[in-house]
Amino acid sequence: MKTISIDHLARVEGNGGISATIDGRVVTEVKFTVNEGPRLIERLTVGKTPEEDVSIAPRICAICTLSHKNAVLRAMENALGVKVPAKVTLLRELMHMGEFIESHSLHVFYLALPDYVDFPNAIAMASKFPFEVKIALEMKQFGNHIMKVLSGRYIHGENPVIGGFGKYPSRDELIWIKNRAVQFMPFVFRTVDLFCGLEYPTIPEEETVYACCEPGDGKYGLWGDEIILSTGEKIARDDYKRLTNEFFVPHSFCKRSRYKGNTYSVGALARVNVLGERLEDEAGKMFKKYFNARWKKNPLYHNAAQALEILYAFERIPELADEVLRHPEDPALVPYKSKNGKGTGLVEAPRGLLIHHYEITDGVVANVDIITPTAQNAEEIERYCYIAAQKLLDEGQEDKIRDRMDLVVRAFDPCISCSVHMAEVKKAPAQDWKTKLARLLKANPVFIGVGKEGRSDDRAGLELALEMRKAGVKDVYLETELDEGHILERFSGRPLLFLDIANMGEKPGKIALLPLQHVFWNSVLSHRLLPGLSNKLTYEEVRRSFILAIQPKSVEGGDELSLPVRQAIDQILRETIG
Amino acid sequence: MRILKLQKNCLFPFLEAISKEAELWAPVAKGDKFAFDRVADFSRIAMNATRTIIPAKKIMVPANFNMFHFTEKGYKEDLSHVTDRILFGVHACDIHGLLTLDKIFTQVYPDPYYLEPRKRTMILGLSCWPDEHCFCKSTHTHIVEEGYDLFFTNLESCFLVWIGSSRGDDLIRLVPDLFDENLTEKDIKTYIQWQAERDNAFKTEIQFVRLPDLMELNYRAPFWEELGAACLACGSCTMVCPTCNCYNVMDKQFLGEKPGQRIRHWDSCTLPEYSEVAGGENFREKKFQRLKLWYTHKLQAYVSKYGKPSCVGCGRCLVTCPVQINVKTVAAALEGQEPEAFWKNLAKEATR
Amino acid sequence: MEKEKLKIGIYELTGCAGDALLIVDCEEELMNIFKAADIESFLMAKSDNRNGELDVALVEGSVSTEKEKEELLDIRRRSKVVVAIGNCACVGGIQAAFLDKKDWEKNFKKVYGTIAFTHTKPAQSKPIDAYIRVDHYLPGCPIGKEQFLSTFARMVGGNPPELYRFPVCVECKWHENDCLLNKDIPCLGPLTLAGCGSVCPDHNIPCFGCWGPTEEANLTSEYHLLLDKGFDLEMIKKRMANYSGTRIAEFFAQFRKEKR
Repeated sequence: MKTISIDHLARVEGNGGISATIDGRVVTEVKFTVNEGPRLIERLTVGKTPEEDVSIAPRICAICTLSHKNAVLRAMENALGVKVPAKVTLLRELMHMGEFIESHSLHVFYLALPDYVDFPNAIAMASKFPFEVKIALEMKQFGNHIMKVLSGRYIHGENPVIGGFGKYPSRDELIWIKNRAVQFMPFVFRTVDLFCGLEYPTIPEEETVYACCEPGDGKYGLWGDEIILSTGEKIARDDYKRLTNEFFVPHSFCKRSRYKGNTYSVGALARVNVLGERLEDEAGKMFKKYFNARWKKNPLYHNAAQALEILYAFERIPELADEVLRHPEDPALVPYKSKNGKGTGLVEAPRGLLIHHYEITDGVVANVDIITPTAQNAEEIERYCYIAAQKLLDEGQEDKIRDRMDLVVRAFDPCISCSVHMAEVKKAPAQDWKTKLARLLKANPVFIGVGKEGRSDDRAGLELALEMRKAGVKDVYLETELDEGHILERFSGRPLLFLDIANMGEKPGKIALLPLQHVFWNSVLSHRLLPGLSNKLTYEEVRRSFILAIQPKSVEGGDELSLPVRQAIDQILRETIG
Repeated sequence: MRILKLQKNCLFPFLEAISKEAELWAPVAKGDKFAFDRVADFSRIAMNATRTIIPAKKIMVPANFNMFHFTEKGYKEDLSHVTDRILFGVHACDIHGLLTLDKIFTQVYPDPYYLEPRKRTMILGLSCWPDEHCFCKSTHTHIVEEGYDLFFTNLESCFLVWIGSSRGDDLIRLVPDLFDENLTEKDIKTYIQWQAERDNAFKTEIQFVRLPDLMELNYRAPFWEELGAACLACGSCTMVCPTCNCYNVMDKQFLGEKPGQRIRHWDSCTLPEYSEVAGGENFREKKFQRLKLWYTHKLQAYVSKYGKPSCVGCGRCLVTCPVQINVKTVAAALEGQEPEAFWKNLAKEATR
Repeated sequence: MEKEKLKIGIYELTGCAGDALLIVDCEEELMNIFKAADIESFLMAKSDNRNGELDVALVEGSVSTEKEKEELLDIRRRSKVVVAIGNCACVGGIQAAFLDKKDWEKNFKKVYGTIAFTHTKPAQSKPIDAYIRVDHYLPGCPIGKEQFLSTFARMVGGNPPELYRFPVCVECKWHENDCLLNKDIPCLGPLTLAGCGSVCPDHNIPCFGCWGPTEEANLTSEYHLLLDKGFDLEMIKKRMANYSGTRIAEFFAQFRKEKR
């Protein structure tokens, strides 16, 4: 089996796209691609001093630069045993609030809102919503200003360093920030009403698992030393790999994550779903006013959750400023001596859980692991896009697929904010399954016939398997033989090709080759495969495996296969036996 | 010229009174160095400051400012950065530095951007004590006869205050009761003793009279290339030099209706761009050629024109150049000695 | 008569998107940018993008895949003037710090193993002038707001950009900072292009070199100076390479020769 070391990753974000391939009434493929080239950040940070890595690592992403800064600092300070003064921690949180305001307001107003009011971009939108566009701009500017004051510049500021800051902001600056935050409140409420009150489409809606930092003390917050899941489970910071379980897909340089084999969501919606009950003051009131069960399954509510967090940040800023002003004597920088250690830093970036992990040996960085929120959301983005595409297709709204996928990807606010303009719907070429099957056959798959006797077309998978076996095809099994032969264990590492019928809403006899995970995401496709398999296969195996599906004519009693299904079986046999 | 006496505890009341007339600027601590800054809280004033990082020239010609706004129709001068100022705590070397700039900016081509702030800035000098890098006694700039409105000599028990101009006198007249017109014999003695002790405190001495000839004789000496090899071309020596005055201009344009700006900023003859002309030709392509130009100007050319070097002995190049290319080590090299400096060590390393 | 507007495209290759984001961050000026020129393509800010002839193409990011190389060649063919914006496009960025191809390949394998990528072929990161002629360079990591706006305004007015060519030290002295090198702090100011406003030394933090090297960067002298101050040889090399991209590869090659 191919082993891929998962301690290193290159970056995410910048330039990417989403595509769905449609064959008749079936979505045969959904791919979220990151077109960015590989930067090998986790490699080039190795061998440098911790100070240099604090400078380099945030260059992963300009949009979350300060989240990366806070994450690398928390990790380094954990590793080197540095305890920073209270004023430093407070100012870092203030800086983080600045980034949240900047990032969230950019996203909800400029990237997301034009879709809901039907404009190609925010500049064009200004003709109809001049007030929103103008004030949102000022709000974003205010976020940028905080970032600049605390970090030294708008993007990639170097003022936050291990042990504190190069320089503290002046008292006057803090007072200005505090007063300015209060002035924005009327517009902030308007923002919450606008985005929490938007009519979000019901497609796609499906339960999922949400993950974020546990801020501790029963508070809402943007960093912590533990991860908390919507299932109630908690994971200590150094055990983060239990959550992320990273792996690669061949269509992206960005690693993917799954928890216990399933996709999960991080981001504003995850935070509000997991921690929303803890919101206090006005944000707490607004949460109670708007939160409902749909937030738990519809990714489009990311926008609403971000608006709530804008309010949270605006309420937090004056508190933080006051608190900072109470600590005038704290030193800006505490020195440290340690040259060895291991540490993890967990931070909530605007778009979700961000993890930095470093090992330092003899004063230089020996090992680096960085897991970005977009990398964790990538699988979830594919899943929700698939659900949306298939559902719309089922409802005969094929023309809406492109825009809806756009909406879904953008709601996750991937750092590749730009990618979302590149949603693409591809028509599968005629006989698409044949080309794909030929490719798959080269990878030496194990065939598994699935079906049930006595329900007419339902036995097609079994029939197909038996005829293949008769024709001398190797490694063909029936589903009933799986357990006795320990087939899955014996062939682990090889792709599995399930032969089955699937209700794709197509003409009887239609053949399609579908990724196995579509079956897990869409129970309509195969009632039979679901229960047993998902526990037995790792997600890498799921990723590699396919189902060769035939549209049945009938599954009502009787042993006879329908004519179209019979013809389909013959067609497949021609392709496999040659 | 009148000399008055001011008790130490009367200084702040005096500053309080005069700061109502104009912005008061004085040296304050910046890290373990000093810088001129606007002061409202007089306790910030570093009375025993050594040289500031940047000399008083920054008050006359800021490092970076807009000269005028322009549109397609014409231009409008911008002197909005100039205000009435009182500069307190200027040392003798820096006053000489300003006198040198006066020659350059006010004689042949009077420069309004220099003249205006110069006119509107009052200079209140303050005596100082040399550290190991000061050599203003060698350049005869450790005392001043002109170039100030008031000059404060900081004796142990009191200040002696020289009045150098009628404007200075006007300041005294704001609060005349703070000053004592009657200097005692003891005061005079104390002053003479202070002066003698200060003269003896200098640890760096350079024989400037010999340097013009030595520059000529050493024009092709190999040490110039050694200097060039080590020079980081960072321009810092020229930025901190009280007599360096070169500048460049850049046109800054804006989108929309906003008029353009002609930005004037400090330049340095040690930078490659300085001697580049249209077409990309460069008269002094190599760093050593540019350094030689700088030292020729400071130690030789200025002497033939004005009878003295354009170095005021402030020691800023000594404390600023990271590779120790400065008047002291260059003078030593001109004298045929081997100075203890990074640039010399680098040359030795290269030949090894 | 109204002058015909310039057609401008803004493109992102591999990088942190910081330069494009900085343009978006120009806030109130963003409206003016869109008014002053026809922005034909700008993925981060708008969705109706076209790929036609351009007067000016602003390109961010390094070339790190075959696809990007093709895209870049196409941009060059379509554009009268190409401006590299940001450290990645100008010198290759932090991802170009692997000095030779073997080193890069080794590290690529460490990250991705032998996985066969289907979407595009990866390539060692290079600045855009490794493949095309570049008319102007706008340095920075990311580019500076003022510098960008004034460059943009000059180009809209038909003038070439006017940029600082001197090192950070000049701006650092304008701001009257005490030299960090003299305090034995490994500052790369003398090697690094100005324009950032010496923001790090202003905050008591040494320059990391993120605006890339100046034309006359005296690497040898700075290198020996840092050695003199007791810093470790490897550490100095790495620090100097962080943001210098492929431009200083030759310098290090020379050291390797010396070692032999």
